[in-house]
Amino acid sequence: MRQIPLDIRPAPVADFANFVPGANAELVERLCHLATPLAFDALYIWGELGSGRSHLLQATAAAAGRPVTAWRGAEVGEDLPLPPGGLLIVDEVDRLSPEGQIALFRAFNTARLVGLALLMAGDAPPLHLALREDLRTRIGQALIYQVQPLSDEEKAETLARHARARGMRLEPEVITYLLRHGRRDLGSLFAVLEELDEQTLIRKRSASVALVKEILAGREETAGSP
Amino acid sequence: MNDFWSTCLARLQGELPAQQFNTWIKNLTCEHGPDDDPAPRVVVPNRFILQWVRERYLQKFQEYAKEYYGKPVNLTLGLLEAPKSAAAPAAGIQKTPPPVAAAPAAPASNTPTPRSAAAVLPPSAYEKTRLNPDFTFDTLVTGRANDLARAAAFQVATNPGTSYNPLFVYGGVGLGKTHLIHALGNAVFRHNPDMVIRYVHAEDYYADVVRAFQQKSFDVFKRYYRSLDLLLIDDIQFFNNKNRTQEEFFHAFNALTEAKKQIIITCDTYPKDVTGLEDRLISRFDWGLTVQIEPPELEMRVAILKNKAEADAIHLNDDVAFLIAKNLRSNVRELEGALKKVLAFARFHNREITLDLAKEALKDLLGAHNRQLTLEHIQKTVADYYKIKVADMHSKKRTRAIARPRQIAMWLAKELTPFSYPAIGDAFGNRDHTTVLHACRTVADLRLQDAQLNHDLHVLTQVLRG
Repeated sequence: MRQIPLDIRPAPVADFANFVPGANAELVERLCHLATPLAFDALYIWGELGSGRSHLLQATAAAAGRPVTAWRGAEVGEDLPLPPGGLLIVDEVDRLSPEGQIALFRAFNTARLVGLALLMAGDAPPLHLALREDLRTRIGQALIYQVQPLSDEEKAETLARHARARGMRLEPEVITYLLRHGRRDLGSLFAVLEELDEQTLIRKRSASVALVKEILAGREETAGSP
Repeated sequence: MNDFWSTCLARLQGELPAQQFNTWIKNLTCEHGPDDDPAPRVVVPNRFILQWVRERYLQKFQEYAKEYYGKPVNLTLGLLEAPKSAAAPAAGIQKTPPPVAAAPAAPASNTPTPRSAAAVLPPSAYEKTRLNPDFTFDTLVTGRANDLARAAAFQVATNPGTSYNPLFVYGGVGLGKTHLIHALGNAVFRHNPDMVIRYVHAEDYYADVVRAFQQKSFDVFKRYYRSLDLLLIDDIQFFNNKNRTQEEFFHAFNALTEAKKQIIITCDTYPKDVTGLEDRLISRFDWGLTVQIEPPELEMRVAILKNKAEADAIHLNDDVAFLIAKNLRSNVRELEGALKKVLAFARFHNREITLDLAKEALKDLLGAHNRQLTLEHIQKTVADYYKIKVADMHSKKRTRAIARPRQIAMWLAKELTPFSYPAIGDAFGNRDHTTVLHACRTVADLRLQDAQLNHDLHVLTQVLRG
């Protein structure tokens, strides 16, 4: 008989504590500073999918001791609320509509007057963003960081931290196997981890290499099926 | 002078360039509240300096006060006590500012909210201008790219309303148009603090029109904009196809110029090339003086970087400034972004700013920019523009119709890419590097005499920068 787990697991929290900075220590420090009420910088971070961009934005929002308003690029319309003295976060600026681009452009122009800090993220450096030139160069004027991909050791540590946060016991050899045989971007790794957590509860089995093998095989099959 | 302030002044004198210290800090004084509230209050002589000091130095004062008193202290900024008309002091130290010039209120919803403890004062005449105190003629680096525009702006600032009206400044994105007109506005404010000045971005002007329309408050809107002595409107190209906004601006323009009030306009292109603007508006832009701001040449980019670093009390070596300036050519904004990156990197790693450190800090950025333009792309763009074949870029033909575009392409290659002269020569049909050098000199000389060529270069540069 299979156990059906109750859906009462804690929602994963994105904060600085569960982000392994690796080569991103300087970026993390800047973000922590941006969260403080006296910082009025503009920061732009970019990196590949699964590099941890969104995690960092959420962590900054969570740590901010100031009003925060956070948006995904595609959601930004003509009006972008600009909380005085606050922090405006826009993720996926590469997906801003023409109206959204003007709204962000105006946010740049107003920021100095209302003491607003700006934190933006996208999938490419400002030079390669397909945005209006006046907005693109304003983003280029910000402090720019590329989110550096984590090394395998850092990914292993990140996985271990996430597992601990979920109350899972994850042996080092399981992590090693995962890193050697699965896709190694953080998004895919977390997805396997989540499935592993679920399967250990359903099947009342420990999080072993054998179970990971089954999960990976299942994912490959699903990916291969038409 | 109290001990805290003497200590603070001594430290700032050591840290800031002498010019900055003497201009902004030296003449400030400091006083304390009653005994039960020893918080220091730094007194500044006017609102212009108040705004400047608040944005650049207040945090530093607060840090020093914390260190000096050994605990966080509520250090505030305040204006020098006004004559009798000032209202009763609040909390022992805060004074109400003298009444400001009686102008109709600005459209309300755009009013900025002050951000620091010192800004509990109502918006001053200066704050209502929306000018940025950082942008002055002193902080504007001048070079061949902007000296005409600067001279014109300076003259208008000296005689607003009577020299060139309107002053129309155009140039590509991020070349310093906004800085120039803020500098003009700040200079006018300094010499004529009673003048009603307003900087407005064209998008905000449009928003004001929409709001007036929704709230049926066109009378207030019109009265306000016609009450100005100096209107600085940025990025007029945003009026593109906004008919009602153009209509309102047309009438405001007429009213202001008839009353000999000054109008300054910026745009990303020459007036006649702005799309979606009514002819009657475009023709009025020609009434005054039209000046162009061009992309800064290498020496000017270096000067800009050194100037910006100095504003942060940081000495930037020539080799570091050259590294950044050589690799980032497109506009001043991205130049500034790169400088910020280097300074942040040095601060974080607590290292001196050297060439190696700068290279390390800008690794990704430089890589990204160097991928920016290929010589083939430049050749194709220029060939398309002049309707010649790309093959002519490599050919030996020397007719003017082909040789001139080829020289222009070489000049653009030199201006916009980091390729060496020999590499550029190779890409243009294995020509010698002296041919490239000659082409660059020819184009540089010709553009000073030939307005059409100058315009072509402007357009091509904009196109290539994407």
